[in-house]
Amino acid sequence: MAERAGTAETVERPEGRGAVETRFVKVFPYAIAFLSILAGWQIAALIFPAYLIPAPRRVLVRVFQELGREAFLVTVGKSFLRLSVGFVLASVLGLTIGLVCGIWTFFRRTVRALVSILQSVPPIAWVPLFIILLGFGDAPIILVIIIAAFFPMTVSVMNAVEQVEPLHVDVARLLGADRMQLLVKVYAPEVIPAIVTGAQVGFGNAWRSLIAAEMVGGVNIGLGWFINFAGEIADMTAVLAGIFVIGFVSAILDGYFLERLKRRLLKWKYL
Amino acid sequence: MEISVSPPAGAGRRQKIVIDKLVQSFGPLKVIDRISMSVADGEFLAIVGPSGCGKSTLLRVLAGLIAPSAGRVRIDAKDVHGPDPRHNLVFQEHALYPWRTVYKNVALGLEIERQNPERIKNKVTGLLNLVGLESFADYYPHQLSGGMRQRAALARVLAVDPDVLLLDEPFGALDAMTRLTLQDELLRIYLHSGKTVILVTHDVEEALFLADRVIIMSTVPGRIREVIPVTEKRPRDRGSANLAALKRTVLGILGLEPVIGDVRVPDTNFSI
Repeated sequence: MAERAGTAETVERPEGRGAVETRFVKVFPYAIAFLSILAGWQIAALIFPAYLIPAPRRVLVRVFQELGREAFLVTVGKSFLRLSVGFVLASVLGLTIGLVCGIWTFFRRTVRALVSILQSVPPIAWVPLFIILLGFGDAPIILVIIIAAFFPMTVSVMNAVEQVEPLHVDVARLLGADRMQLLVKVYAPEVIPAIVTGAQVGFGNAWRSLIAAEMVGGVNIGLGWFINFAGEIADMTAVLAGIFVIGFVSAILDGYFLERLKRRLLKWKYL
Repeated sequence: MEISVSPPAGAGRRQKIVIDKLVQSFGPLKVIDRISMSVADGEFLAIVGPSGCGKSTLLRVLAGLIAPSAGRVRIDAKDVHGPDPRHNLVFQEHALYPWRTVYKNVALGLEIERQNPERIKNKVTGLLNLVGLESFADYYPHQLSGGMRQRAALARVLAVDPDVLLLDEPFGALDAMTRLTLQDELLRIYLHSGKTVILVTHDVEEALFLADRVIIMSTVPGRIREVIPVTEKRPRDRGSANLAALKRTVLGILGLEPVIGDVRVPDTNFSI
């Protein structure tokens, strides 16, 4: 590879000055958004008494205090564990079913019908049923996360397989590809953008459902429970600290890790 | 009516492709109606005709992508059953994989054949040199011009060393200048490789410049209308009087004869 790298100058790529400007243009709106939330919060804190709306500074101090506490770290870790298990299971399941839908028309019609019925029920509505079926604990919460993240992945992959460019399939067939090679060399790369989209949408759903399920799911550990419990004892600083941690963690996971994964998988699109 | 078409007598070459009363229908629509012809080993055949005359369908049948509705298609005295790397097709456009670099696109067929990496590297590097893309190995298709993309598509097919090369309007989407350059390159590759080539094109000049014989098809259903042998030695002079005369003949058969001298005035009492 290295000996070919020297010729890369022949076609210009947007780099240097342009790249810096692009980065600035991307980061700047986020900074403004963040600062305006902070400003609104600070103003509210000045109007309301501290036991109703504590100031950002106090909450931030509380966040760092909590992060030093083992119990809080365990709670965050537990939420993260539920999320990971549910999200990964949902993604694998959605990907598999989506792929099968793509090549089996009857199955696809059935799944479409199923999705349109089940998707109209907010995942959180299942919680009471699951608690009675599975008992208190991680199982009902993970099941809710699976339901939340499964549909976006399935639908997205299913649509992508349907839209695979027939010419790309023909090319590989003409070169002698067997079914397995078609799957690996044509279908898989062709649906990767859809997998990324499915994962991003699914992750958003999973994260929201996780917190909601932890708040109403009768558990005594997890970020959702932390906020709910703090609210019951009127500890508003803890409520806001919990919200702050949720927003922060989610932004990092979605905006950084998933975005990087996307750019890695779809390297060819960003050149 | 059916016209039997065989290579010029006395060529002394073995018949590579034999098509016998081929019929191709899609549902009620008959696209190809009883075409019979044969192509000699190492011959360059061009097929021209109005759009919808079934010429692309004919190539897809020869490539084994669709099974004939009736009749037989034989290559090397064997019926065509499904795709086979030895008779391969170059599409008009959009056939490169956007997620693969030029290098990886050309390597595709060799990967599918499970060749060892060293051999793949040698072969791909050689082919990129042949089509003049050696400095663009690491580029993605969307970073290339249309002409470069078609060069890469040609190299990808040449990688599996087919002995029948089927070309479906390979230069149809290119600008006139690039098209001429690629025609020269295709000719050079053809003359060096001795492959049998069938080129489907709507460019009559391109057909006459490259082919041993030009087959003219009629439309709906597709039938062979006329066969024009081009005997001039290659490389041909695009501006020669002989090619110009042949072009007039072909366009005449297609119903598009150029009007020289007097410009015909349409009926005076026409309405718009």
